[in-house]
Amino acid sequence: MEAATARVGRGKRRKEKKDQSYGSEERRLAALLLSPTVVVILLVAAYPIGYAIWLSLTEYSLRVPGLWRFVGFDNYSEAFGSSEFWDAVKTTFLFTVISVTLELAIGLAMALAMHAAFKGRGLLRTVVLVPWAVLTVVSAITWKTLFEPNLGLVPTILGKVGIAENVVWLGQSGYALAVMILADVWKTAPFMALLLLAGLQVIPDDVYDAAKVDGATTWQRFRRITLPLLTPAILVALIFRTLDALRIFDLPFVLTGGTNGTSTLSLIAQKELTTNNLIGYGSALSVLTFVIVMAVSFLYIKSVGGNIRSLAEDN
Amino acid sequence: MMKTPRILAALVVSALFAIAGCGGGGDDSGGTPKAEKATQAKASGDVSWCIGKDTTGSFSTVVDNFNKANPKAHAKLIELPTSADDQRRLQVQRLRAKSSECDLLGMDVIWTAEYAAQGWLKDVSDYISQNGDKFIKSTVDTTEYNGKNWAVPFNSNAGFIYYRTDEVNSAPKDWETLYKEAADKNGIVYQGFRYEGLTVNFLELLYSKGGSIISDDGKKATADSQEVKDVLKFMGDGIKNGSAPKAVTTYQEEESRRAFESGSATFMRNWPYAYALGKKSKIGSKFDIANFPGFSGQQGAGVLGGYNLGISAFSKNASGALAFAEFATQPDQQKIMAAEASLPPTTSATYDDPAVKKAMPFAAELKTAIEQAKPRPVSPVYPQISEAVYNNVYDVLQGKASPDDAAKKMNDEIDKALQTF
Repeated sequence: MEAATARVGRGKRRKEKKDQSYGSEERRLAALLLSPTVVVILLVAAYPIGYAIWLSLTEYSLRVPGLWRFVGFDNYSEAFGSSEFWDAVKTTFLFTVISVTLELAIGLAMALAMHAAFKGRGLLRTVVLVPWAVLTVVSAITWKTLFEPNLGLVPTILGKVGIAENVVWLGQSGYALAVMILADVWKTAPFMALLLLAGLQVIPDDVYDAAKVDGATTWQRFRRITLPLLTPAILVALIFRTLDALRIFDLPFVLTGGTNGTSTLSLIAQKELTTNNLIGYGSALSVLTFVIVMAVSFLYIKSVGGNIRSLAEDN
Repeated sequence: MMKTPRILAALVVSALFAIAGCGGGGDDSGGTPKAEKATQAKASGDVSWCIGKDTTGSFSTVVDNFNKANPKAHAKLIELPTSADDQRRLQVQRLRAKSSECDLLGMDVIWTAEYAAQGWLKDVSDYISQNGDKFIKSTVDTTEYNGKNWAVPFNSNAGFIYYRTDEVNSAPKDWETLYKEAADKNGIVYQGFRYEGLTVNFLELLYSKGGSIISDDGKKATADSQEVKDVLKFMGDGIKNGSAPKAVTTYQEEESRRAFESGSATFMRNWPYAYALGKKSKIGSKFDIANFPGFSGQQGAGVLGGYNLGISAFSKNASGALAFAEFATQPDQQKIMAAEASLPPTTSATYDDPAVKKAMPFAAELKTAIEQAKPRPVSPVYPQISEAVYNNVYDVLQGKASPDDAAKKMNDEIDKALQTF
């Protein structure tokens, strides 16, 4: 408990404690021991990110030999002025919100089901993870084949029962994004389920027993015990999935090539960087994607951090 | 499946060497034997040839043949991935690093101008002016940039109209009739997805109408023209009127082929590769091919595909690389690749060869198609130009833009791309 209090303690109390317990010598030792990690982080993370930011401030194109000049924020104003960028922002967020919400709902249901004791539970837990283990590119090709006009399984079956007969699934706005979300949910709901299952398993059974004795209904137990205690696990799972969804690239790349309202931020950045060889502009798009992802993760971490802290304090 | 042609090719090759071994005897390959011999005698040193994956083994055969014919030289094949985009990426990485690893580059015809503009290629105008006659004229056009030739045409490609012989008697001679018949029967499938293939499909129609998207000097967009608007309207109406199914907006080559082979389309626009595969499908005996129709009586025109061989500016053995390019474009070597790998030759004479005719029953039509075809716009910013084309054509196919607006936007975007260079 002592350690927990120290960790969650804030402000003055914490500072005093630190000053008392660490002499300047220990601090130096700590810095020394941390320095290899810092160097590695600088090399593998800070340098590339810094370089990308620098590139984004230049006009640099592999198409024109020797062209490299500093243009300030021109690339950014070009991005903000292009409808392609805003369409991609819209699509990326729409995709993220819908897919992550569905994944949470389905993943939670799957986790609750897998948490219940029954025969063959171990096998089910393994089997459920199969979609997640399949490479996204491979599953995307499978989905593309399933939705291929005339020949694909889905249009064939739907056509037989007279639903959506004239829909070209991957060739129409709305429908294309729906298929993309479906493919993503199919693949990552099991991952969500696994993270939530881990959260469920640490909730002690006696809490439920006590609630039962008090006469709480199943819904009340879920609403008042499971959900609050599962919140940290849910937030961790949401962070993982949201950040992944914001950077989605492989699914639209394979499924639609970004056509019909499925063009995401990563997709347009990749196009400018590799197909069009516009290193400056492409880097600006990458940096913008990075900033958006960072901002969202910052918000999440703040809320997770606060949540864990409040939980710890409640205890 | 490849066994017979390979044995045939091996026989041809050994026969060739038997003749060559006899000491400069009669080389029956046609073309310009004198020039070829002169360069080959000089060929020496190492030559590495970087080109897409050798899926049929025919490139290796050509390399072996070269090494046998040139004891002082040693050629080596460096295989790049199968996908054209990956090939380009790996080549560009090496060229940017001024690497001498690749002496000879197998380049998609649309990269030639870009590589030349970057100063990555050696000028081969002299060789082309002396030996250009043996090539089909249009294939030589793909090697030109700024009035010079930067590569040797290696293989070519051009599309066909595939049609169902049990549904129509013959392929119509003009696009209007073809689309009308398609609407009455089961439609035409083509490559309508938003990618390079759509640019090709659009340009084929535009070229048949006599239109263009950039000026001859490559400096200005010419897409805001009546021809472009007409073709856009023609394609957009085609989908509205049911000449082409709405699904073509998701079709690349393979999707089109599968749709045609499943019997759901009367016509298909595709490359020659779909022929042999189609013959093995359930409609194998019920289709034939034809050259592209024109617009109202005009002659049809295709768009050239294929690969050129460029000599890297960073090569340490440029003469060896040229000797190899020369060797690989001899009619006999072209024949091996045509028969084994169905790579359409760039040398006219090869099409009349019985072995080639046997391997490609459509050899005569293919030669016509290549002769009638034109290169895509030759420009160092070709990828952006193509993007401007396929994005706007796609919007028309989806009914999201009117032909007039799309033509104007296409024109603006091409101009913008040209300005970035």
